[in-house]
Amino acid sequence: MQRNRISPRHNWEKAVEQLGFGFHSTNVPYWDESAYYSFSLAEILKLETATADLWDMCLNAVQFVIDTRQYARFHIPDWFVPEIERSWNEDHPSIYGRFDLAYNNGEIKLLEFNADTPTSLYEAGIVQWYWLQDFDKGKDQFNSIHEKLVDYWGYLKQYLLPGKLHFSCVKRSLEDLTTTEYLRDCAIQAGIDTQLVFIDDIGWDEERKVFADMEEEDIKNLFKLYPWEWIVQDAFGKRIPEDRNKALWIEPAWRMILSNKAILPILWHLYPDHPYLLKAYFDQGDLVSYARKPILSREGANIMLVKQGLPLQQTGGEYGAEGYVYQDLYELPAFEGHYPVIGSWVIGQQPAGMGIRESNGLITNNTSRFIPHLIV
Amino acid sequence: MKKSKTITLVLITSALASCHKEQQSGASGSWDQKKVYMRSDTTASYTRTHYHSGVAGALLWYYAFRPYGRYNNGRYDHAGYYSGGLHTRSNTGTNSTKSAIVRGGFGRGGSSVS
Repeated sequence: MQRNRISPRHNWEKAVEQLGFGFHSTNVPYWDESAYYSFSLAEILKLETATADLWDMCLNAVQFVIDTRQYARFHIPDWFVPEIERSWNEDHPSIYGRFDLAYNNGEIKLLEFNADTPTSLYEAGIVQWYWLQDFDKGKDQFNSIHEKLVDYWGYLKQYLLPGKLHFSCVKRSLEDLTTTEYLRDCAIQAGIDTQLVFIDDIGWDEERKVFADMEEEDIKNLFKLYPWEWIVQDAFGKRIPEDRNKALWIEPAWRMILSNKAILPILWHLYPDHPYLLKAYFDQGDLVSYARKPILSREGANIMLVKQGLPLQQTGGEYGAEGYVYQDLYELPAFEGHYPVIGSWVIGQQPAGMGIRESNGLITNNTSRFIPHLIV
Repeated sequence: MKKSKTITLVLITSALASCHKEQQSGASGSWDQKKVYMRSDTTASYTRTHYHSGVAGALLWYYAFRPYGRYNNGRYDHAGYYSGGLHTRSNTGTNSTKSAIVRGGFGRGGSSVS
């Protein structure tokens, strides 16, 4: 893995905007093609294998949490447990997830798993691929995201309830809308009848006990880029068990277990000393250097890094009320002051590609930059 | 891990590319500063719109007035239009068809996940 500095395409803004990538820059640059990372094929194969293995381990961990009923550890409300178990036992459709991995000196370590509402999918699947076509068409990329999305939607089609597949996200976020519309685009290409409805526009028919879209059509299948931990807090969350359509939610409710950082100590408990895992506990345990992470948090908020008992770095935010996990401190590789994290995608149960986000510090947050990659 | 030679996007490119425009500024002011009052139903009252975001280009998408109606025995009955960007008061008015379903129970504060 190497970081290579290059000159951006002279018309890069126009090039990415033509792809529909409208959030390439905010107050700080997000899409950054002043550098790229190069990997050998052997390195990519290692990352691909690790992703597949971690996915299998995660599925076993979900079964363990359900079997041992450790929902309180995850702050999952009792009333929602039957929904989680139903979605797991009935194998409700799911489409994607993103492992955040540290890759340093040939070691691969799981930092966390974005199993419910991962973003940066469009950047990874489309924008960096078109960058490669301009930069060096002859090279390849760890990237079959688009093909796998279209294929897997096609596979899932038979398992959806009769009716449309609705897609939903919040208003006012072009980034969320882009991820959602990209997924919908792939579903359309797989022959699925789709409809966009913003999450705040979803209606509840009190008489018929069903969710409805803006045309008052029943919602039977819903992809939502909106986290389960918010859904169960929302007023309509408690309507889900009452839903007479028993709508299929994608990602399914059981992803609430995997997207919670409480899964990290569970994985360590099930697979102690596994080479892809870092020690993780619900308390500090024997850790002297560690990352303290809220079990529910987003975008690197409220994380505290401690090295040899001394604070190393800390981020603010509004999370932490539900408790924390402690994970062995693993320092990301530094490339001239840039710290990359690999986002490795699982689509339809298979490794599907990766995107790299780079920060100026050890904590990857919402000011990190997306850097393209290629295979040498 | 090899990609197809060609990627087809049927939906996203045109829809989202049109959302990206620089925020208006200068003498004409930004969208934040404009007082715009809208309603989506003639039986409703006007309210001031409340959109404020750094991505003013998404305005058209956000304020889109979408057809509103219901399917009844396979037939679609058009009841008017609805915009998620407007206050409920300006969407519904006394239009009973529109008020048959409760909305707004999801979306706590409208936070982005990314």
